[in-house]
Amino acid sequence: MSGTDKDQAGGSAFVPSRRTVLVLGAAAASTVVTVRPALAQAAGSVLNCEIPVPGPHAGGQYIAADGNLVAPGTPGAAPPLGRALKGEEVKSLLRSGTTPAGTDPTSAQAYANYIRRLQSGMSGFTCYASLQTRP
Amino acid sequence: MASPVYIADSGSAVLTVALDGLSVLFHAPSGMTHIVATPAPEILDALQTGPADAPELIRRLRERYDFEGDEAEGALHARLDELEAAGLVRRA
Amino acid sequence: MRHRLDIRIGPVAFRIGSAWKAPLDALARLYASYPAPEDGLADFTVRLEPERPWRRFIRPSVAIRGDYTLADAAPLSLAHGLLAAEMGMNLQMALGQKRYLLLHAATVERDGRALIMTGESGAGKSTLAALLGERGWRLMGDEFALLDMASGDLLPFPRAVSLKNGAIEVMQAEVPAERFGPRLDGTPKGAIRHMRPNAEAIDRMGEGATPALILFPRFGETQAVRGVGAAEVFMRLTQASTNYVALGRDGFDALNRLIAANPALAIDYPDTETAVALVEDFWRARAA
Repeated sequence: MSGTDKDQAGGSAFVPSRRTVLVLGAAAASTVVTVRPALAQAAGSVLNCEIPVPGPHAGGQYIAADGNLVAPGTPGAAPPLGRALKGEEVKSLLRSGTTPAGTDPTSAQAYANYIRRLQSGMSGFTCYASLQTRP
Repeated sequence: MASPVYIADSGSAVLTVALDGLSVLFHAPSGMTHIVATPAPEILDALQTGPADAPELIRRLRERYDFEGDEAEGALHARLDELEAAGLVRRA
Repeated sequence: MRHRLDIRIGPVAFRIGSAWKAPLDALARLYASYPAPEDGLADFTVRLEPERPWRRFIRPSVAIRGDYTLADAAPLSLAHGLLAAEMGMNLQMALGQKRYLLLHAATVERDGRALIMTGESGAGKSTLAALLGERGWRLMGDEFALLDMASGDLLPFPRAVSLKNGAIEVMQAEVPAERFGPRLDGTPKGAIRHMRPNAEAIDRMGEGATPALILFPRFGETQAVRGVGAAEVFMRLTQASTNYVALGRDGFDALNRLIAANPALAIDYPDTETAVALVEDFWRARAA
């Protein structure tokens, strides 16, 4: 082991050190990534899926710009889309903001945010999860 | 407020393979694989000799490494939080 | 179920049941000359069922069911029943395969060594593999690579190649019409046509190969090549595997052995002929 190096402010330690600097990283840094089960890459071959916007649980509620469900008729909120969005449409919507057929750009953004907020157990969640691919 | 004491599984419970610049770890008790960057492997290594709280960990790490700046304890806590969330480290 | 077909693809035996005859007739023609499962035992079952009982006859709607199913799976029309059967088989593999480490990759073999091509759907690996399979390579599979964790070898899974849109014309120019299934337009993924691998691929479906090179191809880009570091390969391969996490220690060891033993390259290419040429060059360099 190399000789001990004492911390010396301005010291001119002549003996070369074999110690390395350990960078502990910033508080917000991410140094641990856990491998999760992945269906995304194979999803196109196994899943023909649709996402209803909103799901059956919504009971006629509208979708606000941030994706939350709000009372029907709320100004600025998107009405339920009369059909489920197909997987490919959702992919284009989420990746490039492509407005699906039969809707307008503002509503499309509300639907996109609704989809991003889907939780496990909600209709469309598996479809959404399967569309997740790394950029 | 006392600093919590951390424990890492040792020996065959964790398999480590160094790949270019990162390490991949298999944690046998959970069956999970983690891809980790410095200083995670060094911290886990420093916990091999036994449980330690943050000040003790810093002392152990200082035996081998230098730290830049004086944010060591704060940064170490952030790293320990990550390792704890991943299940690689737990509190005594 | 009313109609039934058993097929073996590589080491995996499927039983496909269907409420309608037409999809199984199409499947049987596509998989003509494939062997039946040994001892008549199936590893996985797929069932093509009406979404609702009356949907067997009225606007027939084919729900993909089987040993493993996915919530939110939308049904397909009867005209696309062949596609439903194929997706059903893929689904069983993706969710149920535990014996082999599954990689979403195309594999081709030459001289007992295997080339693995992996990446997102649409990156072009299926077309590339199909083309190489007609250019002196043996097609082992275009969708799933099966890694035997004990031996480190890849096993074939030469299902019918799923060609999409432009790739259909590319392969029709090289391959006899008899090897193609019907052209299916208007599917969720555009136009699809299935292509049976050639006789060599089918005859040798019991024969594995040792991996030699890992490629991450990307279609539709200016030609470029770069080496891919081991950590990145590890990350990308776990993302390309539907069963890595479930396999625990064996998967970890097998994946690390695969990466330690084989170089990895990312290749971008503007067209498939360029890709074929690049593959041949790198394969020669690897063998040297």
